[in-house]
Amino acid sequence: MNTQLHEYTRNQQSSLANYVRTGTLNNVEGLTENRVHYYRKLVHNVLNDSLQSAFPITYDLLEEDEWYDLVEKFFRYHDCQSNEIWKMPYEFYQFTISNENNLIMKYPHLNDLLLLEWTEIEVYMMENKPPHKFNIEGDLLNDVLVLNPEFNIIKLKYPVHIKGSREINKDDLGNYFVLIYREPKTFRVQFVNLSVYFAWLIARLLEESKPLIDIYEAAEETFRVDKSILEKNSYQFITDMINNKFILGFKNDNNSK
Amino acid sequence: MDNGNKHIGIGFRKDFAEEFLEKKILKPVFVEVAPENWMGIGGYWKNIFDKVAEQYPVYMHGLSLSIGSPDPIDWNFLRKVKNFLKTYDIKIYSEHLSYAKCDNAHLYDLLPVPFRWDAVHHVSKRIREVQDFLERKIAIENVSYYTPVAAEMTEAEFINAVVAEADCNLLLDVNNIYVNAFNHKYNAEKFLDQLPLDRVEYIHMAGHEQVEPDLIIDTHGEPIIIPVYELFEYTVNKLPKNVPVLLERDFNIPELAELQHEMSLMENICRRAWNHEYAVA
Repeated sequence: MNTQLHEYTRNQQSSLANYVRTGTLNNVEGLTENRVHYYRKLVHNVLNDSLQSAFPITYDLLEEDEWYDLVEKFFRYHDCQSNEIWKMPYEFYQFTISNENNLIMKYPHLNDLLLLEWTEIEVYMMENKPPHKFNIEGDLLNDVLVLNPEFNIIKLKYPVHIKGSREINKDDLGNYFVLIYREPKTFRVQFVNLSVYFAWLIARLLEESKPLIDIYEAAEETFRVDKSILEKNSYQFITDMINNKFILGFKNDNNSK
Repeated sequence: MDNGNKHIGIGFRKDFAEEFLEKKILKPVFVEVAPENWMGIGGYWKNIFDKVAEQYPVYMHGLSLSIGSPDPIDWNFLRKVKNFLKTYDIKIYSEHLSYAKCDNAHLYDLLPVPFRWDAVHHVSKRIREVQDFLERKIAIENVSYYTPVAAEMTEAEFINAVVAEADCNLLLDVNNIYVNAFNHKYNAEKFLDQLPLDRVEYIHMAGHEQVEPDLIIDTHGEPIIIPVYELFEYTVNKLPKNVPVLLERDFNIPELAELQHEMSLMENICRRAWNHEYAVA
């Protein structure tokens, strides 16, 4: 038996799908023309609801026409690849930063805002990652610290994480780092504004299985600041990160979890 | 969990997820989830889902397999589905007799497959391939559609041909039959009589919205109306065996007592029809 779909049928299906995406109706046989628009309306409602829910601050920032035009263009020109609709907003973010120069000219912090909003979803939804075995008791300076693995650090040009999106202007241009992590018990997503130094410190803690005492030594060379000053300035941050469950404990051999 | 309900489950929704654990109002015998919303996630929702899955049988109703698509089957996605089915010991996996992906783009809604013989062969071959891969039968749902597309046979002929050729089960969506009968002006009971009722593994019930004098949209956002209950009663009296029944409510979520009331009405109809001795879940 020939199980091949005929070119005609394939084209009919393709034309209907294309209509849903673009609004252009070409040669679909037997359609009830005054009803077919409901498919387009239903699909756009699904898409728009998902994107508004994923990017509430961006939706609030853009003019209504700009938002709907962006959603329309995204669906028309971008071939969505995510089976899971909650992952589709990442594609929207990628589409926007690659194609929407005019919007980005008008809203220079749009890239950063979309990235921040997407990363919140990504961290909230990410699969569970078991941490390295750790002890809650340990030596802050000489034991290797164990980090909560459910996090991301993003680099931004505009402070969209600490300032209202309508208040940001070109004078805010700079380098900003944001730690976004998921608390282990409550699963809440937390945002922490990081200086360049603390972003560097977390990267070292992550990449190198070394205690802080060694990392401060490397920091002294990198930042040309005396390590005793670095240690003193870092103490509060490290303590906060322990209290706030980003640093989970210490990697030592005493009854590790 | 014997509260009198033996057959009726409900879609597991984030809007009232905690209720499934607290069990204050809703008394489903199973829950249904879309794999696309629950696979490959962690954190809060995985934690809740795992707890719910410990307490209820879980059935799975897919959205994006796109079994009627001209595009190739997404085997990577199906691998994840297979793993999910195994992890949560899921007894029923159903999908829609429609397409949701075309020209390499997901559409996030269900478009009608042309009722054509080549489409029957194409879809059936794909269902068989999926069943072989999953090492189980799947149930295919009759979908609501608002316009035919290049049809050369009736909807009932199309469904019959696919179910027979694919050797799959049928997920009978009673509301979809009502919606289609209204929209395309045919008799719902006569339509039902033409379906392969011995293949029905599962039933869906839902509400809809009339948007024009001659058009109903299958929204899952309204209470079930009396004529749909009547069609449901007609259906269950025709079935050769008792099967699980799902209440779908995706939007416009009412007080949970209203949902429980709908479930109780359906359970009463099942009891009258089936005079059952056996629970289904």
